[in-house]
Amino acid sequence: MALIQVEQLSFAFPNTEQDVLHAVSFELAAGEFALLIGQSGCGKTTLLKHLKTALTPYGTRSGAVRFDGRPLGEVPQAEQARRIGFVLQNPDNQIVTDKVWHELAFGLESLGTPSDVIRRRVAEMASFFGIGDWYHRNVDTLSGGQKQLLNLAAVMTMQPDLLLLDEPTAQLDPIAAVDFLAATKRINDEIGTTVLVTEHRLETAFPLADRVLTLNDGRLVADEPPRTVGLALVHESDPMVAALPAAVRLSLALDAPDSVRTSPECAVAPPRPAECPVSIREGRAYLARKLDHAHLIAEPGHRLGFPESKDVENAVKARSATEVGDADGAEPIISARDLWFRYSRGDDDVLRGVDLTVRQGEFACLVGGNGSGKTTTLRVLSGLHKPYRGKVRLLGLDPTKAKGMELTRAGLAVLPQDPQTLFMRNTIGDDLDDVATTHFPEKEERAAMVASAAAAAEITELLERHPYDVSGGEQQRAALALALLTRPKLLLLDEPTKGMDAFFKAKLAGVLRRLIDQGLSILMVSHDVEFAAEHASRCLLFFDGVVVTEGVPREFFSGNSFYTTAANRMSRGLVSGAITVSDLVERIQALPAECTSPESVPATQRDAGEPVPEPASQKPETTTGAAS
Amino acid sequence: MVRNSDAFGSLHPVVVFGYFVLVVGVSVVFLHPLILTVSFVGALAYAFYLVRWAGLRKLLPGLMLLMVIAALFNPVFNHRGVTTLFYWEDNPITLEAVVYGWVAALMVGSVLLWFVSYNQVMTSDKFLCVFGHVVPALSLTFAMVLRFVPRYLAQAKRIAAAQRGIGRDVASGNWYARARHGAAVLSIMLTWALENAVDTSDSMLARGYGLPGRSAYNDFRWRERDLMGALALGGGLLVVIVASVAGVLRAEYFPAIELNPAVPLAWLVIGVWALVCFAPLLLGLKEEVTWRSFRSNS
Repeated sequence: MALIQVEQLSFAFPNTEQDVLHAVSFELAAGEFALLIGQSGCGKTTLLKHLKTALTPYGTRSGAVRFDGRPLGEVPQAEQARRIGFVLQNPDNQIVTDKVWHELAFGLESLGTPSDVIRRRVAEMASFFGIGDWYHRNVDTLSGGQKQLLNLAAVMTMQPDLLLLDEPTAQLDPIAAVDFLAATKRINDEIGTTVLVTEHRLETAFPLADRVLTLNDGRLVADEPPRTVGLALVHESDPMVAALPAAVRLSLALDAPDSVRTSPECAVAPPRPAECPVSIREGRAYLARKLDHAHLIAEPGHRLGFPESKDVENAVKARSATEVGDADGAEPIISARDLWFRYSRGDDDVLRGVDLTVRQGEFACLVGGNGSGKTTTLRVLSGLHKPYRGKVRLLGLDPTKAKGMELTRAGLAVLPQDPQTLFMRNTIGDDLDDVATTHFPEKEERAAMVASAAAAAEITELLERHPYDVSGGEQQRAALALALLTRPKLLLLDEPTKGMDAFFKAKLAGVLRRLIDQGLSILMVSHDVEFAAEHASRCLLFFDGVVVTEGVPREFFSGNSFYTTAANRMSRGLVSGAITVSDLVERIQALPAECTSPESVPATQRDAGEPVPEPASQKPETTTGAAS
Repeated sequence: MVRNSDAFGSLHPVVVFGYFVLVVGVSVVFLHPLILTVSFVGALAYAFYLVRWAGLRKLLPGLMLLMVIAALFNPVFNHRGVTTLFYWEDNPITLEAVVYGWVAALMVGSVLLWFVSYNQVMTSDKFLCVFGHVVPALSLTFAMVLRFVPRYLAQAKRIAAAQRGIGRDVASGNWYARARHGAAVLSIMLTWALENAVDTSDSMLARGYGLPGRSAYNDFRWRERDLMGALALGGGLLVVIVASVAGVLRAEYFPAIELNPAVPLAWLVIGVWALVCFAPLLLGLKEEVTWRSFRSNS
């Protein structure tokens, strides 16, 4: 029997006409791992909250939710608290007590469990999650990833049958996110707990899921296994197609009937469901089959791909000469030489000789692991911390010596990781006015500046809203508008894409691109490799307190083998220098049409797990054509 | 170096808490010079054992000052007592008042030193363990305060730093501008806290908070060692109570000093009291000797 059944569930918040959920129906069987996807604001959170009475929002609703065969409303609160676990997005807000062990015990305390039982359950869960090392710690000494694991473990001590997770990794760095999802999968595999999770990190979550439910504007538009959901979404023309994992997007672009093909003869039948790759490994096998069929990977010298790095370098030089204006010997907008920094005397060095240059008009992106010192670098560059060795020039000033608002006047604007820290008024418009007042005394000029900053950040329709009432992506753009009011020449951004879905990222990228076109320079710190690859003009890899390597994204990411984009990992050794899915699609579609038709590949070969290239009997002339 | 674990601190929080109540209580109630001297030396020795010189260095000057003030103020304002030493500004300074002043100073000093050790040993979770049994709701409130107050302070700092980045300097300008910014920060902090509290309450509700019959879990187990400790503590308490009822520890300062350690029983009581005051230190030292012998054997 299904553990949870949702039947024709519709819901609208009080005093609103529009349904947030509209006739949603689905069932989850015990032991399933289901992924719920959809754009921000499509009703994912509202749906999850309907599966637990204590969290269900007020409003008008119709339809029914049944848990274990009974209407959810009739399941006693204590039973719901125990059997339905819920983990929210923000790791910090959910933690109630100050000690790890106390947090683990919190749920069981609520249920009135005797101490010896609590001790046993807490011990079990701490061992399961490897919490033993930090069991006695204060929660504020934990990293974000540890905090979220603690939240999960604190729910698991009650031994729930159903686990509801609402974007649990949105605030985590990529490694912690992968760890968290792996822990969730482990619970599902080893304990058999049913999981329903909403996620934006589909690259990681897709291979774990048994089913993918897709919401669009409150309607359930697809309920399919991961391998077929892509095709279903293409049929529905759902915007989520753009957010699917790289392997899925690649196969959809190449095989889906609705995708635009260069030659009409190549329109092929939809691939069998089993064939849609969902992970990097499967994507590689898929790509290898495509190319192998076209006899392209047999000969190493003639790989399908992008110009080798020499050509890229020349192209960069040409570009920097024209666009960047390097030739006239202008001073770089940021130049840091041999920066050393530690937080206090006895501590370890955080920066260990950072050399870094950002030129006028660049969109430079500092990528690297957690705790490698990226954010510290931003703080040192913006004068918040003083390096104990080394020199910084920023907009022609020395930030360590700049007084008061001198740096702001020179054109520096810094956006923090949490945009909420920038808002101080009751509406976004008031906040913009307030900042404008400090920079523009004339009233007419002020209004014009606010209007143009809001337009540039695409938040004009949000001016009357409270800054805390808009979504995270909108908050980030509103923060950007605040920064634009200082008329910056240089923008320092710290993780601007944190917690954003694919659409908000695309919108932000558009905004940033226009700013760059207007002559602004940007230095961004990010974990988001895909975003950097697609939009940055130069990437710098930060590790162990120094910039290890840098280059234009194509050169940079094709030089890395692990710290790189999904498309690049998928095509490594098969197509050189491809870093985005559109790169791959472009290359493969440039091949002669008859070469990539999947019908001519025997089915047995298609199911092979590993790419085993067969020696080609002939070298087609088309290879060189494709590589140029 | 500050010790993270010592033998006495690893006892059950109820025993540890009871111990501090006893030593501080006796020090405050019996204004007896010998009792207080023993208490002071015991407290100083244990505090030194726990936090070492580095920990005491900052505290001691203040403590000394407080004690000297307490010792000097009493004879200046208190003119009772039969033995006049000299006159100061036409007021008699009496021997009794001077001695009483020093006894009061010893009392203040020893209580403060016991609190130094208390802070090291009785961490917040131990405190919660003691009071969780009595008032579970209070213990949770306390844990939440300990969690959220540091969070709010950190957020206020982050806001100030972030505001600088877009040219709104909240920490400079004239007093009016600063007050205006301060009010703005306070108001947005309130909004932020309320906003986050929605999540926190969801998280609490989701884990069954508010259901009847909440229990209070603590991470401490009652062991045989704790029973022994509790018995010893009870024994010490009993001796002191019996002694005080019997008037063995009577100390009168006015009009004339009259102590009562003259009887042998009083010395016995002082001996027991010394054992009580030095017990944590002795437990710790005993454990260290054990460790040393382990190390030399291996």
